[in-house]
Amino acid sequence: MAILKVSDLRARYSTKGPEILKGISFEVEDNDFFAIIGPSGAGKSTLIRCINRLVEPTSGKIVFDNREVTALRRRELRRLRRDIGMIFQEFNLINRMSVMDNVLSGRLGYTSDVRTLFRAFPRSDIEHALALLERVGLADHVDKRADELSGGQRQRVGIARALMQNPKLMLLDEPTSALDPKISREVMELIKQMAQELKVPCLCNIHDVKLAQEFCNKIIGLQDGVTMFSGATELMNEAKLGEIYAMEVL
Amino acid sequence: MNSVSDPAAFRAQAEAVMAKRQNSRYVVAGAYVVLLALVIWSVDVTVIQDTDWERIGGPANIWESVNRFMGLDLGLLSELLVPTIETLMIACLGTFLGLILCIPAAWFGAMNITPYKPVTYPIARLMMTLSRSIHEIVWALFFVSVVGLGPMAGVFAIAVRSVGFIAKMTAEAIEDIDYGPVEAIRAVGGSPFQVIYYAILPQVLPQIVSVVIFEWEINIRRSAVLGLVGAGGLGLVFFRQMNTFNFHGVTTVIFAILLIILLGELISYFIRRRLI
Repeated sequence: MAILKVSDLRARYSTKGPEILKGISFEVEDNDFFAIIGPSGAGKSTLIRCINRLVEPTSGKIVFDNREVTALRRRELRRLRRDIGMIFQEFNLINRMSVMDNVLSGRLGYTSDVRTLFRAFPRSDIEHALALLERVGLADHVDKRADELSGGQRQRVGIARALMQNPKLMLLDEPTSALDPKISREVMELIKQMAQELKVPCLCNIHDVKLAQEFCNKIIGLQDGVTMFSGATELMNEAKLGEIYAMEVL
Repeated sequence: MNSVSDPAAFRAQAEAVMAKRQNSRYVVAGAYVVLLALVIWSVDVTVIQDTDWERIGGPANIWESVNRFMGLDLGLLSELLVPTIETLMIACLGTFLGLILCIPAAWFGAMNITPYKPVTYPIARLMMTLSRSIHEIVWALFFVSVVGLGPMAGVFAIAVRSVGFIAKMTAEAIEDIDYGPVEAIRAVGGSPFQVIYYAILPQVLPQIVSVVIFEWEINIRRSAVLGLVGAGGLGLVFFRQMNTFNFHGVTTVIFAILLIILLGELISYFIRRRLI
């Protein structure tokens, strides 16, 4: 069954501005590790941000977990976002807070404003966070400040924060492009393992085609807001790639 | 040096540069003349014509007037203790109350998080401008007439006067934040409050602390003079000594004020070193 259904999605940042997404449609199934590839400026980041409406789509329909995302009001949207974990290119951690607080912030959607004020998370959350930190290999860094960690370690904190939500879908926005090739592979492997273990489908922006072909089972190729390719990874070939990345050569 | 390609053009260019520099010299000289005339005129009007020269008398009289202030009235010391503490307390409480008033001012006044820009942003800007453009003595006069004589008027005056600077600096810091964490907290389903508390506040906290300490230090100076208009503290004692012509007492109060200002600077220096 499809956890996420996107149909004819269009987006632009201002009424007069250029259309960034020009009618994108795809479906993410329960076990998918779904890659969005394409040259920079193709609309990958906009597309992924439309899913949880960090960017408002101008038209089209997004159905996630039988809920119509585009129709939700603010409060309902916040409830929906609790079910979608997100991992960012620049990690987007709160630098002055500890690793623990950063991971716990994944639970904010379930935490009242008063509890937030005192950072009073229940014991179950603390235990969940500790377990996840151990799983991503940061058991020794619990009390460190986020800005004391290396890039790879920071992204591991980001992964733990996203998994803290017990998400039904993970959005990965270029999770490895701020990391060196060796760390990139490790981080991708970790994400894939965790996703399989916890049975969370992933939708992943990635510009490194090699990584996409290695880790993802489906690929959608964007160029200038238009779908150039959509299908299983095995069907992707050099000719199609050349087409998608034609802009880069120019 | 001698390898000029076209000597005639070179000479013409040199002439042009010389002429231009000559002209600008005339302009500068003219500006000096005008400036000098203005200075002479203003000294004449304000100092020469408006001063009561007969009252000043000769150099001997001036020396005598100055000499009256030389010396301390140590008998006043016991009376100074409470007003000194009062002055410090006015500064502390005023800064704290000002900080609370800054929460809406900074929140509304930061372009990127103001709840409804056409209404809330102008409100905040008005608060900041009003706070800073009115002198603390005027604020104190206002609050003395509202809540009566005493330190409470001083606390209010200091608080209101502090809002402008703290809120402006905080709002500017908020406008410069990194949006990554904001995006992350929104993505986990965080409420607007959670976004401010988790993603924005940690980024601007160091600046807020630094600005507040700075403002507190200034507020000690401010609260020392507020007593002149009846808003409590050392200023009131100062005013009383002046009125009773106890000039040694005046000097004593000035030393007390100097002392707490130095104390404030010292404390602020050490807190700064610790925190920043």
